[in-house]
Amino acid sequence: MRKTIIYSFIALSVVLTGCEKDNFDEPAAILEGQITYDGAPVSVRSNSAELELWQDGYALNEFIPVYIAQDGSYSVSLFDGAYKLVRKGGDPWQPQLTDTIVINVNGRTELDVPVTPYITLTDASYTVSGSSLSADFQINQVVSGSELQEVFVFMSNSVLLDRNINDYAEALPVEALSFGSPASVSVSIPEDLQNAEYVFVRIGARSSNSNELIYTQAEKIEL
Amino acid sequence: MKIKIVHFLCLAMLVACFSCDNDGWLERDPKNIIDDDQLWNDPELVVSLLANYYDRIPSMHGVFYSGGMAEIDDAMWSGHFDQNWRNDFQYGNDYGRYWDYTFIRDINLALENLEEFGTEISDTQKAQFNGELRFIRAMVYFEMVKRMGGVPLVTEQLIYDYSGNPEYLQVPRAKEYEVYDFIFEEMEAIKGNLSGNEGSRTRANRITALALESRAMLYAASLAKYNNLMDTPITLPGEEVGIPASMATGYYEKALAASQEIIEDSGYALYNQNANKQMNFYEMLMDKASSEIIFAKDYETSLKTHGFTFENIPRSLTDDNEYPTNLTPSLNLVESFDYLDGSDGTLNIEDTDGTPIVYDEITGIFDNKDARLYGTVIYPGTEFGGSPVKLQAGVAVYQESGAYELLTAQELGSTYDDGGLFTGADGPQDNAQFVSNTGFYMRKFLSDASGASLRGVASQNWWPWFRLGEIYLNAAEAAFELNQPAVATGYINTLRERAGFPENSIATVTLQDIREERRTELAFEDHRFFDLKRWRIAHEVWDGDESNENAVVYGVFPYRIVRPGHPDNDKYIYQKLRPTRFRRARLFRFANYYASIDQGVLNNNPKLVRNPFH
Repeated sequence: MRKTIIYSFIALSVVLTGCEKDNFDEPAAILEGQITYDGAPVSVRSNSAELELWQDGYALNEFIPVYIAQDGSYSVSLFDGAYKLVRKGGDPWQPQLTDTIVINVNGRTELDVPVTPYITLTDASYTVSGSSLSADFQINQVVSGSELQEVFVFMSNSVLLDRNINDYAEALPVEALSFGSPASVSVSIPEDLQNAEYVFVRIGARSSNSNELIYTQAEKIEL
Repeated sequence: MKIKIVHFLCLAMLVACFSCDNDGWLERDPKNIIDDDQLWNDPELVVSLLANYYDRIPSMHGVFYSGGMAEIDDAMWSGHFDQNWRNDFQYGNDYGRYWDYTFIRDINLALENLEEFGTEISDTQKAQFNGELRFIRAMVYFEMVKRMGGVPLVTEQLIYDYSGNPEYLQVPRAKEYEVYDFIFEEMEAIKGNLSGNEGSRTRANRITALALESRAMLYAASLAKYNNLMDTPITLPGEEVGIPASMATGYYEKALAASQEIIEDSGYALYNQNANKQMNFYEMLMDKASSEIIFAKDYETSLKTHGFTFENIPRSLTDDNEYPTNLTPSLNLVESFDYLDGSDGTLNIEDTDGTPIVYDEITGIFDNKDARLYGTVIYPGTEFGGSPVKLQAGVAVYQESGAYELLTAQELGSTYDDGGLFTGADGPQDNAQFVSNTGFYMRKFLSDASGASLRGVASQNWWPWFRLGEIYLNAAEAAFELNQPAVATGYINTLRERAGFPENSIATVTLQDIREERRTELAFEDHRFFDLKRWRIAHEVWDGDESNENAVVYGVFPYRIVRPGHPDNDKYIYQKLRPTRFRRARLFRFANYYASIDQGVLNNNPKLVRNPFH
């Protein structure tokens, strides 16, 4: 009986120790940073924008998708090594498929990824008076030839908000807005959001060159 | 001892007498393998090989696949909660990816073997088999070009020569229009060789080839036109994606010519056998003697069946013990069917001031709708296969304040306090499984044959790959784009007459009319998704906006009024709602116009270029 127990302990310890072959370390390095234009963060819709990360030197090529958070930040766990970062199409900025960024990842590596958005939204500020919210902002053309297609003010009671996730979206008349000059609009806060203590606000604009909007950072406005 | 020797000698003599024909013994034909000589010289064996290839003709999700329809058609998933992701998902970058060079190789191999080994069958027969194989290959290339853009055009076996350099096997992607041209040229080349299949609805003949031309040329034409009308056309520098705008007219002309040739053929006619236009539209897809069907995938109870009826039959009518009702059509689809007086199909649920409109009958709200609505969707107050479908969400109890309190029961088929029906045996119920969440059930493709909803029996109604109704719509669209509005109007009005509209119901057809006709006439027939793509409006229709009526699936629930002593008692009102289970507005991104190519495929062939946005 005692022998059985001893043997089973020995067997168990062998099993638990396992063998070196199939035990890999998890990736320990972290690559993180921010999507920027002119040094300022560029913010996007949740689950929309992606970068591609490639590593050469292996038999099979498969990219690692790098998901970008709505505030334009990203982070990805990797092994140390040399990687190539591609800014691909479908986002509110120009794809740069042939202009890869070479990165040496070693431990915690920070890298801000510069992009060229078709248009930008800057100088957003909000003031609340009663049930209306007035927003000041400026839309700038970056890539010549991009026309302004849509501009929205989004509101929500949570910080994650965009074209698809929001409690309220108001389309602004595009004719009244022009590139490069400050705009001021007033939007009434819908009843179901008025009674809360705060509301999150974001402005989004879409250019003719992209199907995705570019956004301002979500801002918490006390009511 | 002596006897033994004698025996032994006798035996030896016996063996020696029969001895063996060594060569014959070693060169017997195998009993369990059919070799190429046998196969390609026996028409019956070739036909059974063709049956396998016909069976493998691709569609977006495979035919009669309810789950796929819930993702891309005007419907939602009301089946098991485990699959509610179908109501809560985004089209991924690989959505609709299709890259089936296994099948292409099988066909190329068959074509070459038919040529090489088929010595004892007649030239006519050989030409016909050749034509059928090339028809199937063109169908596969069409499916690939619709989803992936220009793909490598491989028309012969690729055999490695072991030289160490496989580069000659790496075929680059063809231009998008080259694939469409290939389909057209192949059909032109074979359509004269298929006379042996004249009149067949399940094997390719001249009309089937023309039908593929009609559809493929229309797709190419609208891609050429509408892609280039976008703010930023979707293209690749090598034209693997993106057809030049100048080619649109030529393609529209080819589509119109092929369509008109089919329409003028005496062997086919719009199905008009039943004076009841509503049942007529339903029976059009059920009746296998239908003069409308050009090419179908057939099913037969004793051989090969499908489970579409089992999966989608209204809850109370199923003969099986579980899993009814998965796919339920949306209110948006119901509203896209016009009223017979020509007015817009939006249901009159409320007055302008928001008070619900009271209807005498539960079907009242659907009165005088396009007859195709009945043929496509089971709506409240109708029947299926002779049994009534009991759709009633609950009761609307009149309040002193003048409003109605809407009450529903958990238990289906229950009785309310006043002795009348509470919630119908077929729901609808919100946030429930295996019962309609939208207030509607499928009728199209649903078989009313005995036992069709039993898994053990299942359905034998066929899947229409091509039918004349579509050809009319193809012709109308092509004619309209070619500046022949009168011709287009004629085709659309003919189709609408079959749906119960009076003669010449549309004076001059618009592009919008044609698109709405396609949406209603061809609902669930694997068209809507590709139509939205080729018109380049998918990203606008399904823009992911939760307040966009087109991107969200809505339902409408009927309630019986409880107001004793008042004339409104036992009449009906309706409530429009967004089903709880439909979680996320559909979002179609630019990246979904062409699916991404698998990375493994790209690694194997460095000459392939990636699709845009991938």
